[in-house]
Formats: sequence, structure tokens, C-alpha cells
Amino acid sequence: MSQVSPVYAIAIHGGAGAVPRATLSALRERAYRAGLEAALDGGYAVLARGGSALDAVATAVRTLEDDPGFNAGRGAALTRDGAAELDAAIMDGRQMRAGAVASLRHVRNPIELARRVMEKSRHVLLVGPGAEEFALEEQFVLVPNSYFRTAERLEQLEAEQRGQRVSDLVPPAPQGTVGAVARDTHGNLAAATSTGGMTNKRPGRVGDSPIVGAGTYAKNGVCAVSATGHGEYFIRAVAAYHVCAAVEYRGLTLPQALHEMLHVILKGLGGDGGLIAVDRDGAVAMDFSSEGMFRGARDAAGRREIAIY
Amino acid sequence: MRRVRVFVLLVVMAAAVLAQAAVADPRPLVLVIHGGAGVIERARMTPEKEAGYRSGLSAALDAGYALLEHGGSSVDAVIAAVRTLEDDPLFNAGRGAVLNHEGDAELDAAIMDGNGPHAGAVAGVRHVKNPIELARLVMEKSPHVLLVADGAEEFALEQGVVLVPRSYFRTAARERELEEARRVEQARAAQPPATRHLARAAGEGSMGTVGAVALDSAGNLAAATSTGGLTNKLHGRVGDSPLIGAGTFANNESCAVSGTGQGEYYIRAVVAHDVCALLEYRRLTLAAAVDEVIRKLQRSGGQGGIIALDRAGHVAMRFNTPGMYRGVRDSRGRRVTGMYQGEQP
Repeated sequence: MSQVSPVYAIAIHGGAGAVPRATLSALRERAYRAGLEAALDGGYAVLARGGSALDAVATAVRTLEDDPGFNAGRGAALTRDGAAELDAAIMDGRQMRAGAVASLRHVRNPIELARRVMEKSRHVLLVGPGAEEFALEEQFVLVPNSYFRTAERLEQLEAEQRGQRVSDLVPPAPQGTVGAVARDTHGNLAAATSTGGMTNKRPGRVGDSPIVGAGTYAKNGVCAVSATGHGEYFIRAVAAYHVCAAVEYRGLTLPQALHEMLHVILKGLGGDGGLIAVDRDGAVAMDFSSEGMFRGARDAAGRREIAIY
Repeated sequence: MRRVRVFVLLVVMAAAVLAQAAVADPRPLVLVIHGGAGVIERARMTPEKEAGYRSGLSAALDAGYALLEHGGSSVDAVIAAVRTLEDDPLFNAGRGAVLNHEGDAELDAAIMDGNGPHAGAVAGVRHVKNPIELARLVMEKSPHVLLVADGAEEFALEQGVVLVPRSYFRTAARERELEEARRVEQARAAQPPATRHLARAAGEGSMGTVGAVALDSAGNLAAATSTGGLTNKLHGRVGDSPLIGAGTFANNESCAVSGTGQGEYYIRAVVAHDVCALLEYRRLTLAAAVDEVIRKLQRSGGQGGIIALDRAGHVAMRFNTPGMYRGVRDSRGRRVTGMYQGEQP
């Protein structure tokens, strides 16, 4: 009569957006899939050895931050002045603790600093130079901004500044954001999200990812959610928390709540993107209103899938 | 004789107006404001200080309500009310905001228009006289919702906003508070860990923020919040005020909310949106939804207050601190301010 459910699960995303199948070469697609697999399996391994949902989502997101193919950490999209400016948030559904950082320029793994804010400060959100001061106090080694910049992102920035849409470029690259949600063997839920934001964004612009309730939310017994998409719309809809409120207060299933948020509420506002979520029992739901979403899910019942379209 | 007739006529007209208002006001106009929650007790207040706070609250109510009365939007009204409180050095927003660890005011603000909904917010600005005005420019003149720190001030300059030196915000009273907070911090560091939280609690009396919610003649809701945050806060710390859903939220489908209190608790519980979600999904009354959210806040160890307004004009002002600076003015003739527990409103 154990109270502990054996079901543990993790889901990840590597951004949603226009991903025309025809323009994604087989080689590139393999590289993205390999990146998603590494993040998914890394996070899953933490859960499989009895680790916490919090450790699992942090591990998965860090892996995607380090992969230059995805828009977070190294390889992040660049601001209009050519710099990477990074945002991240993490939330532990156990005590509803959260940590977030925004507008970082020199922290290699923003998700780790977000976690440090949660665990070592009495604050939830730190931004800009103040956040990097805190990083130094916490013994983080800062890196130059050039660490994040890749030739591909520079090309995208130049194209965008010429008036071309990044989504029209060949090959397309994940825009959006990276994120993970998990449920561990103890029933704890966690969510994490990390991003470089929009290509050619104004310096200082903060999207939904580091905003608890908008791009990231986790509450034990209800759900954990990570979002990717047009951040301004997700902020106005308080998308991640709204999904949990729809589950908790209206009794919607997670797929119903995701569907309503993406295809009714956000569509009504004019925004698109994707959501991944896991419920209290470890059931994963993933949905998107854009052309594609880089994503993956794996659970203790044997499900293991990676998908883009 | 003629004078008597005029007088009688006026009395009859006034009675008719009052009777109409009492039956049902199909298009109520309402403005609700707060000037922060915290340790606000009669015993600690002098008559002069109390008069200062009350006149500041009344000025903000009147500035915002005058716009509603002349057909202005709820967005105009909440901005006018919040700007008045930002300019008043007694309240923790704009001039007279609390000072961070480095001795500077670091300001956050957000506005949300329930019609749309649209939103704009700024955080970590240090040279913008009225952060709420900049939040409005973000909402109306940029494709973004939240701009922070230097990038936000760059946007301000592009929009023709005149920046002010940091010294504009600093007042002698806030400098004394910062010194006191630093002294408490040092004393805490010298104490054994077990007693540290007691020292911290003693140094955290004030949790100011200012905010407003309004309902206009077109039936649109809006919410606005502005703050200097916490005394002695880390440079770069952002609280709930500029975060849509946490300290500020408005949607014509549900309600408008502005919060004040320990921001970190408000962020984690997504307080402002939660009030509206309970209203919309649990079909609670506004008062019941606000009470439920305050109860949850209390259980999680958080303190503060909430003002909220729904489309029918129902008002809720609740807090679990000793007091909250607050006020309401509406088209039924109500014009009141409050500070303490147990006082109307």
C-alpha cells in the first residue's frame, strides 16, 4: 500500500515556430533530434535513479543550453545590437519555490543561476547586472558574451535587420525557447525554461520564459508547464498558471487545458507557440499552434518519443 | 418664496438621484487605490503623518476619478491615480521610493488594460520620474510587454521621456530607513543563525507599493501598480508589481487586481491572476475570491494586501497585515480612505 507512485516522466521542448519540413535537411534534422535525445535521456536518467523532478528538468535544460542548435545558452538568438541576452526560470512544485533571471549577458548556464536564486537568495527574480553580481557572489565564473554567439545566429540577425523573416531562412533554426517538465517517483513536479528570446529584440526586452506563471509553472498535485512561443501573448494570458488553474478549478484534463490555451485563448489574442506539461500522475501532454515544435517525452511506462512536426 | 421653491426642487432632485443610484447603477464608475500594506498602526501614527497619508490618498482618488467622470478610460484613471502617488514622497513609488542595497531607488511598474487585454511593464529603472507612464508607453508604443533596466531607459529616451538624476527619488526618510536596515543586517550577521529570522522580521515593517484598479463608463477594467520594492534589496531584484499575473492583472472577462506585500510570495502564487481565475472558474464572488487568495498567502507565510474590482463594480480590499493605505471613490457617491484594520472601507 505504498503512497509512492512508480510513474515518473519527463517532457522537453526545444522551441516552437515555423519549421517547414522541406527546408530542414536530413543532416540538420538528425542534429536537432540528437540534441533533444541527449537532453531527454539525461533528464530521464536522473528520474530513473530516484532523483528529483527539479534535478531532472535542470539537467535537461542545461543540456539544451549547451547545444548551439537551440535558442538558449550558447547559440541563443541575438539582440538588435548583436549580443546574447538570456532569461531563465525554474520552479519546484513541492513548496512552490521559484527562481528566475533575466537579461544576463555573461552566465553560461542561466538555468543554474535561476536555481541558485531560488535556493540561495530570498528573492525570486533578479535581472541585468544585479543578477550577474549575485552570480559572482555565488562563485559563478562569468564568460564573455562572444561565448554565446554563433555564426548562424549572426546570419539570422543580419537577415532580420535586412527585413527578411528568420522563418524564411534556409535552413530554419529553432526560435522559441527550451524547456522541461517532470514528475519524479515521489510525485513531485518541476518545470524549467531558458531562452535567448527573439532575434533582433530590443535590449532589455523580457519575454514569458522567466516570468513565473507566464512561461513556467509547477504546483504539486496539479501540473507543471513550460511554454515556448510569442512571449508577449503568453504573458498577457498568464499561460502556464492559467493551464494549472483550468485543471485545478475546472477539472479539465491537461490536454484539454493546453488545447484551450493555445487554440482558443492565445489564438484569440493573435499569438502562437507551444506548451508542454505533466500532470500529477505523470501523464505528459504536448501541444502547439505553430507549424512545428521540437519536443520529446519519456516515461517509466516505456514511452520514448522525439518529434518536430 | 422663490428661494424656498428652488430649495425644495433641489432636495427632490437630490433624492431622485440617490434613489436611482441605490436601485441599480447600470454603468457604475469605480476607482480603488492602495498605497501599500504593512505595519500601519494607530499607536505609531502621529496626527500629522496620518493627515499626510490621507490627503495623498484623496488626491490620487480625485485625480483618477475626475477622468472617469469625464468619460475617460479606466487606463487613464489608474495611471493618473498611480502617478499622483508616485509623485508623493510618502509612498514607496517614484519620488520617495525605498532605496536598494547600493542606496538607489530602483523602480518597477505595470499597467494592464482589461480590454484586449494589453499590458506594459518596466523593471529596474533608475532615472524615470514616473515609471507607470513608461509602462504605458511600453504597452502602447512597443510590441513588447516587459522592458528592464538600461534597455527600458533606452526606450524611454527614444520615446522622448526626460530622464532625471537618481537623487530626484531619494528622501531623508528613506535614507534613514536604509541605514536602519543595514544596521539590522549587520546585527543579524553577528547573531547565531537561530535568531536571525527574528532580526529580519523586525527590519521589514514596510512593504509599500502603490496601485489602482478602475472601471469606466464603457465597462472596461484596468489595473496599475508601481513600486520601489524592498528597502536594502539586492540590485536587480524584481518583485511582483511589474509581473503580469503576480502583482497586476486585468481582464474584462473577469476582474482587475493590484497587489502589495511580500512580492516573492505573490510571484510564486500568481496572486493577481489567481483572484480572477477563482472568480471565472469557481464562480466565487469577488470578495470570496480575494479572501481565498489571502488565506492561501497566509498559509504560505506571506503577508500583504489586495485590491480588486469586477465588471459589476464590486470592490474588495483585503490584507493580512496590521494596515493598508487604501481608498475608493465611485459613482454612488462613495469617497473614503482607510489605513487601519477594522476601518471602513
